[in-house]
Amino acid sequence: MKRPLSRLIRELHRFCLIAAAVACFLTENALALAADRQISGKVVSAEDKNPLPGVTIIVKGKNTVGTATDTEGKFKLEVPEGSTLILSYIGYVSQEVAVGNQSEVNVELAPDQKQLQEVVVIGYGTQKKGDITSSVASIKREDFVQGTVRDAAQLVQGKVAGLRITTPSGSPTSNTQINLRGINSIEGTANPLILIDGIPGGLNTVAPEDIESVDVLKDGSAAAIYGTRATGGVILITTRKNRGTSRSTIEYSNYVNIQTIARRPELLTGDDYRQKIKEGIDYTDYGGNTDWLSEIMQKPVSHNHNLTFFGGNSTTNLTGSVNYRNWEGIFLRSGQNRFTGRADLNHSMFNNKLKTNLQLINRITRSNGAVSPANDDAAYGYAYRQAIIRNPTDRVIGDNGKWQERDGYFYENPVSLLNESNFESSFKEMRMAGSLDYAPIDDLNFKLLVSNVQNSNLEGGSTTFNHTSTRLGNQNATAFRNTYANNENLLELTGNYSKTIGKHRFSVLGGYSWQDATYEAFAANNWDFPTDTYDWNNLGAGGALQRGQAGMSSTKNKWQLAGFFGRLTYSLNDKYLFMASVRREGSSRFGVNNQWGTFPAASIGWRISKERFMGGVGANSDIKLRAGIGVTGTIANNPYMSQISYNFDRGQGAFIGGKWVPGFVPARNFNPDLRWEKKEEYNAGVDFGFMKNRINGSIDFYSRKVKDLLYNFPVPVPPYLTGSMFINAGVMQNKGVEVLLNIMPIQTGDFQWNTGFTYSTNRNKLVTLSNDQFQAANDFFDAGYTGEPIQVSTHRVKVGEPIGRFFVWKSVGVDDKGAWLIENKDGEVIPIADATPEDRQYYGNGIPKHIVGWNNNIRYKQFDLAVNMRGAFGFDILNFQSMFYSNPRNKAYNMLKNAYDPIDGKVLNTDLVYVSHYIEKGDYWKIDNVTFGYTLPANTIKGLKNARIFVSGLNLATITGYTGIDPEGVTFTGFSPGSDYRDKYPTTRTFTAGLSVTF
Amino acid sequence: MKNQNIKYAVLAALLAGAPLYSCTDLNEQVYSEVLGSSYQPTEKDLPAIVAPVYSSLRSLMLGWQGYFDLQEEAADAIITPVRPNGWDDGGTYRRMHQHTWTALQWQPENAWRQAFASITTVNRVLSQIEDGDLPIANAKEATIAELRAVRAFAYYLLLDNHGNVPIVTDFKDVALPKQSTRKEVYNFVVKELTESLPNLSENAATTYGQMNKWGAKTLLAKIYLNAQVYTGTPEWAKAIQEADDVIKSGKYVLDANYSDVFTWTNFNSKEIIFAIPYDEIYGTGNQIHMKTLDPLSRSVYPMNAGPWGGNCAVPQFIDTYDAADTRLADTWIMGPQKSAATGAVVITYNKAVPGMDRTTVQDGFRIGKYKIKPNATGSLDNDFPFLRYADVLMIKAEALLRTGKAAEAAELVTQVRQRAFKGNPAKATVTAADLAKGSRYNYGYQATDGSITERQGGDDIQFGRLLDELGWEFAAEAHRRQDLIRFGVYETKKWFNHRPASAQRALFPIPQNEIDKNPNLDQNPGY
Repeated sequence: MKRPLSRLIRELHRFCLIAAAVACFLTENALALAADRQISGKVVSAEDKNPLPGVTIIVKGKNTVGTATDTEGKFKLEVPEGSTLILSYIGYVSQEVAVGNQSEVNVELAPDQKQLQEVVVIGYGTQKKGDITSSVASIKREDFVQGTVRDAAQLVQGKVAGLRITTPSGSPTSNTQINLRGINSIEGTANPLILIDGIPGGLNTVAPEDIESVDVLKDGSAAAIYGTRATGGVILITTRKNRGTSRSTIEYSNYVNIQTIARRPELLTGDDYRQKIKEGIDYTDYGGNTDWLSEIMQKPVSHNHNLTFFGGNSTTNLTGSVNYRNWEGIFLRSGQNRFTGRADLNHSMFNNKLKTNLQLINRITRSNGAVSPANDDAAYGYAYRQAIIRNPTDRVIGDNGKWQERDGYFYENPVSLLNESNFESSFKEMRMAGSLDYAPIDDLNFKLLVSNVQNSNLEGGSTTFNHTSTRLGNQNATAFRNTYANNENLLELTGNYSKTIGKHRFSVLGGYSWQDATYEAFAANNWDFPTDTYDWNNLGAGGALQRGQAGMSSTKNKWQLAGFFGRLTYSLNDKYLFMASVRREGSSRFGVNNQWGTFPAASIGWRISKERFMGGVGANSDIKLRAGIGVTGTIANNPYMSQISYNFDRGQGAFIGGKWVPGFVPARNFNPDLRWEKKEEYNAGVDFGFMKNRINGSIDFYSRKVKDLLYNFPVPVPPYLTGSMFINAGVMQNKGVEVLLNIMPIQTGDFQWNTGFTYSTNRNKLVTLSNDQFQAANDFFDAGYTGEPIQVSTHRVKVGEPIGRFFVWKSVGVDDKGAWLIENKDGEVIPIADATPEDRQYYGNGIPKHIVGWNNNIRYKQFDLAVNMRGAFGFDILNFQSMFYSNPRNKAYNMLKNAYDPIDGKVLNTDLVYVSHYIEKGDYWKIDNVTFGYTLPANTIKGLKNARIFVSGLNLATITGYTGIDPEGVTFTGFSPGSDYRDKYPTTRTFTAGLSVTF
Repeated sequence: MKNQNIKYAVLAALLAGAPLYSCTDLNEQVYSEVLGSSYQPTEKDLPAIVAPVYSSLRSLMLGWQGYFDLQEEAADAIITPVRPNGWDDGGTYRRMHQHTWTALQWQPENAWRQAFASITTVNRVLSQIEDGDLPIANAKEATIAELRAVRAFAYYLLLDNHGNVPIVTDFKDVALPKQSTRKEVYNFVVKELTESLPNLSENAATTYGQMNKWGAKTLLAKIYLNAQVYTGTPEWAKAIQEADDVIKSGKYVLDANYSDVFTWTNFNSKEIIFAIPYDEIYGTGNQIHMKTLDPLSRSVYPMNAGPWGGNCAVPQFIDTYDAADTRLADTWIMGPQKSAATGAVVITYNKAVPGMDRTTVQDGFRIGKYKIKPNATGSLDNDFPFLRYADVLMIKAEALLRTGKAAEAAELVTQVRQRAFKGNPAKATVTAADLAKGSRYNYGYQATDGSITERQGGDDIQFGRLLDELGWEFAAEAHRRQDLIRFGVYETKKWFNHRPASAQRALFPIPQNEIDKNPNLDQNPGY
């Protein structure tokens, strides 16, 4: 069994080489004739001195001259005088050998530690990839997505099976949207825990250029060591460090990019209006022809610069980096610039027994423009809506030199909206972390990690006298100022003992963790100013606040989290692997009786390829079966949820005893029994590597069940105080499969092609939504909202069913009058005028069934090409754009050209309504990132170690039947996934050029 | 040895760090809320404690798709047709007009929720008083009486709209409430109001916006007037008795001008007995102008907010008015509207409305009863007069008329009419014979050209003339549905685009969401 297999693999390998060689021979056979001297030799592994069959050997500079070693590691080759051989083999470090005048060349190839001994970052430590027993994905720097990268998540986009990453907004200020293994919480945080070198942070905490690796703890057995913050998975970001003993290097890289809207909606033009007027349609012609979308868009040019340096010696070293990024958006006056600086200092003493680390990260993000990035999509989205609906025969500026405004229901000049409001914000963060690592004896070390993260944001916004808030609302200029500050402390103390005794290898980890965070905020606004020149810098000059018409607010809260944790790993003969961990964690956000929770995990692994009965498969292949179980938790999002507390609320005040008094009201329905949401997850998988890891990957099956789901339960009033109550009720389930496959079909000295596939599928189900106390409640809740003038919910989440289903009147056609025909609850076709809310039905689902990624990296000589593609299948999108703008009924607003296209032979003549016609198939395949680079040959320029230039395109092409802007420009988290909203910052296509140099 | 020292030094450093954090102290520090365990309210907090009992009435009454819409859109005077801005909201206004609502209709659910919000708050505060958590020395009896009267008021709304609702008085009983019959709710409301009376304030001046003795009595009169609808047994004599008590108290009079009752300074009115006070800053929520006006009307007042436009009068209802009746112009915004700044006509409101699903911005007269002050925001200052002295007079008049005392009734109706016919006093007079007539309302289905098809007219309505009088006096005051029901019109007549849908639409459904939350609730008949 074994012989034929390994031979086949060897033959396959050789066949590739021969095929490549023949191809080259046919084109450049003249060169091959230049060979004039025969040499022979043998190649063995430096590790065990065993012969290596199938090693590729070529002559440097003469790529057509080459061979491969035979089954005994031997080779023969004719080479020109003074040649240098290049030997390469998967899993080993390539080596160059000068032939000189020898006729026999024997070479020992060193195993590539990176591949076989690759280290993966896990919670509170690292583990060899081969020892991992749970589902962990690890992406190293050289495998990152290149070009314009928004944040840390985009570096690994499409490379981690089960981790879905999209860019739903084109705003330069917005982040990627990420989700791991389905929707797992209703009211708690569903986002992954992101740790930057062990300290909680965000996807933007460090610049993408400053990241060494991204590791994702996917399953419960891996994540459980992080207890209550880990249900959404854990993303461990490791920054670049000076790992060498005396590396002294400076690296500089930059890029410049331009963007265009991903797909432009086709609207009626001024000429179309005049044509329609001739046809007798009641439009108003103001005589012009304005492309309103172009009027609110700009041609953005963005750039990014990064400087990193490494220095020091074997005992003291440092890494420093500065990153500056200035991004513009496609809408007028939208953009952001960001400065991130990082210093990482290491010092070791007493023969490495004591190691210290100090890390500082400082970042400043400034936004200025028209509106706040916090509600980017809303504010720019509203201008976008106005640009779409505005009469294309109208003008931007009227005869009097002022903005041409018109009265109308939600009808404002979009260009004035963006030009007459101002905004500025600065976010500052300082992160300080220090650690002491003390190893009193071999195999034992203690580590103390202390960090403090402080960030603050100060922002101001204003509108001028020419803004519609003054023109229409007589507000005489408006202004606001908001600020908040966060202070977060972390202390972690860990001890780790690891020992190898014969065949037994084990490690024990124990630790304590404390985290607290204090949040404070203040906000004020005012209007009715004597002048609009102050912006937000003289709030007191306005009149409204003094009259009680404007607002002022402040708040503060604090939470604490304490945890004790331990982990044991054991490996027998590198074959049988075991891991167990437990975390006991308490949070101040829960009632006294339920503060503490225990989160255990265990997993086992079996490297079946090392078994005797598998024969010698192990020599070239590695197969590991593994299975694990783990429990993680989720905290309530908001503070004070378990408190019995009251508020003085002006909104609930009344006119009592001849004057207005505030109301003294309970803050919520009290629930001191509030407790953890707990997720139990089973994971089984296999990691494999064949042909010396030339084909490798993993397959994972998981089943996760979230119990004690935190839910804002609808309760009857009376007996309860308010109509909903925050309680633990219900169970949510997600099951799925993830497949990762990396193949290196071609690997020669000059030509290398890596290709990787990821596939994931997830099935979600809300199992129950009740507990002992509340069994009689609704078995569903509604989610999503159309906005006026339709004003209905869009989704319904029902017990026993998956999240993400639309709940809608199912349209089956259009009648003679141009009105929708819908299917009622009894299955009969009725006119929409007779439809009642009871006739709504489930229709489609906004969460994809299948997520696929396909990444390719090709290197030929000094050229490299990366092509990243991904797709999602088996889902639906509610196309708001079509629902609002593909209906010709309302002549006061502009619309899409296709509004007059007949449906069932009839042009629509009915009010805007939410029917299933607007729910489209969302399936798509996206050629997302294509990067083409050229690396200068080494030593081309003296002093320059490395230089590379590249061009890159992002979001290049989408193959889809979906008619909206971008099938990926939609939400997929939350409870109304698949909503392609009307007001949005449309996604963009980006073209980038950049360079990087290393000195 | 040196190594040993280092080890101890490091361990000491590690241990020194740890105590900085009190290892497992997880007490939540509460900064921006008031902790129940540590805050002891005093008598000065009493107004703030009572306030939430009233505050939910604001959104109940004039909030988005609130009680006002529930009473008016189901009746024959006000409609919300689709405007050119496409505002159809999934047909919800059409269903209100055509009585095709279901248990998922939001408007009745909204009324239910807000009424029970008040009821629960009353129960909570009563329980706190009983437990001695609220140290009230002097005003205890009066406070309890007022709270019970407000609770009765909220129950009256439920009695009138949903009928069969649970009666809950014990805050501490967290069991899911049991449903009561409409008759039981009626008895409960009457009992609560009657028992509260002795301890309620008689001072009209200091209790504006709150339940006093006269508010309770007027409410009782109103409930007795509708007793036949609620229980099958009329209580005309009791209605007259309660009305007489209010009249004899001399605390209230008809305001000299009809518009004084509704203007933005109407807290000065001597006519209002129980108002729901609104304020553009402290008590927001009066959005009547926002819903009725077209955005073009913004420059007329001018306003600080852009209205949504909106609901309007049913043309057939406008046709019932006497041309000399100044209440027509005091109630409705009609004809050309001029910009305050330029004097140019910005929009003209016409009487005609083609249909529920097709209108222009000019179609239909708009609600102008609640005068809009210059620079009004999205929330008016005008208080909503729920019970006023004209109510007392008309309740008495109707009860007299229905008990054969038409002449006395005519005198009262004339009294109310006089300020509306100042220019033509003779027209103010109504006789007993007049009150015996039917209604002038040209009931029937309206075609898009304004003609009335399927004509029924109003001649056959007993005391139809009094129904017309109620319509003119109380238009856009959330009265109409109740009056149509009492006069037998609600489930029998056609108006505008409405045809009778079912004989069981006089009660709204128990909201499906409430039934889902409480399995003790049964649906009302007909749903």
